Amino acid sequence: MIDPATLLTIVLMAGITYLTRIGGYVVLRNRVLSARATAVMEAAPGCVLISVIAPAFVSRHPADLLALAITFAAATRLSMLPTVLIGVASAGLLRHFIG
Amino acid sequence: MSISQAVETTGDGSRSEFRRGVASCAPVLFGTIPYALVLGAQATQKGLSVVELPVMTGLNFAGGSEFAAIQLWTSPPHIVLVVAITFLVNSRHLLMGAALAPFLRHLPRRKMFPALFFLCDESWALGLADARQRAAAGVTPAFSPRYYMGAALAMYLTWVAFTTTGALLGPMLGDVETYGFDMAFPAVFLVLMRGMWKGVAAARPWLASLVVAALAYLFIPGAWYVAAGAVSGLVSAWLMAGDA
Repeated sequence: MIDPATLLTIVLMAGITYLTRIGGYVVLRNRVLSARATAVMEAAPGCVLISVIAPAFVSRHPADLLALAITFAAATRLSMLPTVLIGVASAGLLRHFIG
Repeated sequence: MSISQAVETTGDGSRSEFRRGVASCAPVLFGTIPYALVLGAQATQKGLSVVELPVMTGLNFAGGSEFAAIQLWTSPPHIVLVVAITFLVNSRHLLMGAALAPFLRHLPRRKMFPALFFLCDESWALGLADARQRAAAGVTPAFSPRYYMGAALAMYLTWVAFTTTGALLGPMLGDVETYGFDMAFPAVFLVLMRGMWKGVAAARPWLASLVVAALAYLFIPGAWYVAAGAVSGLVSAWLMAGDA
């Protein structure tokens, strides 16, 4: 059970991802990138990730905002697994008690 | 890390090189498993089937972009948006491949292109660190393809197997939001961003993205907030690079 639109999206995702994997080797190996181009490429993944989770920062629910603040603090000092556990537990508990 | 010890005991046998790669990747795998389970569980919530998800994680094999895609997933999916976001999240591979290129000159192209399919943050970091250490120790060629493939395939199999497991377990959990599982996304993304942190100045484009994406989310219907935020961040990175 594969939906055609889903399959098309996945194949295009995979194609573009493979191009990024070989592109650096094929195109950039003998080139010096400008400081600006390097700065933009280095900033790009973070810009996308923060944009995807931006709605959480403007949630209308106090419990969600508080849980996000706790998760943020955890992310600045802990590794992936404890941060995820603290984030999930704080969101679950705060929603239960504050709503 | 155990890379330095491993280099000293480098064997010439191809099997031991492969095994050395798998072993050096093992600690990373434990961190990947929960992340893979969460992705699988969230994907089924968004309507992806237990068949579709492993097709995605097996063909695309780039976790950050898969998290972003699942977060934005609708039925039917917004193809242009998802593919564009995938490209932006994975654009870092371009820089990673360029950094690795000097070590790959001795490899034939028919091995290069399949090996690069498995390029991910972890296999790149391990492969490059190992090549630099071997170069410093005078080992030639510095880059060990079998070591790299050991680390990369361990990562690949773990990723596909545990995202699938997450998709199988997901429906049993019910609505993940009631338990707070959706907070796993901000948690994962914030930890990934801390790994990319290069100081306050370099992070100013991220703030621009956050502010614009949040405003767009509040005032513009649809999922355009991601594209608006990402583009604003890139433009500000371009403009700010002029100051330095």
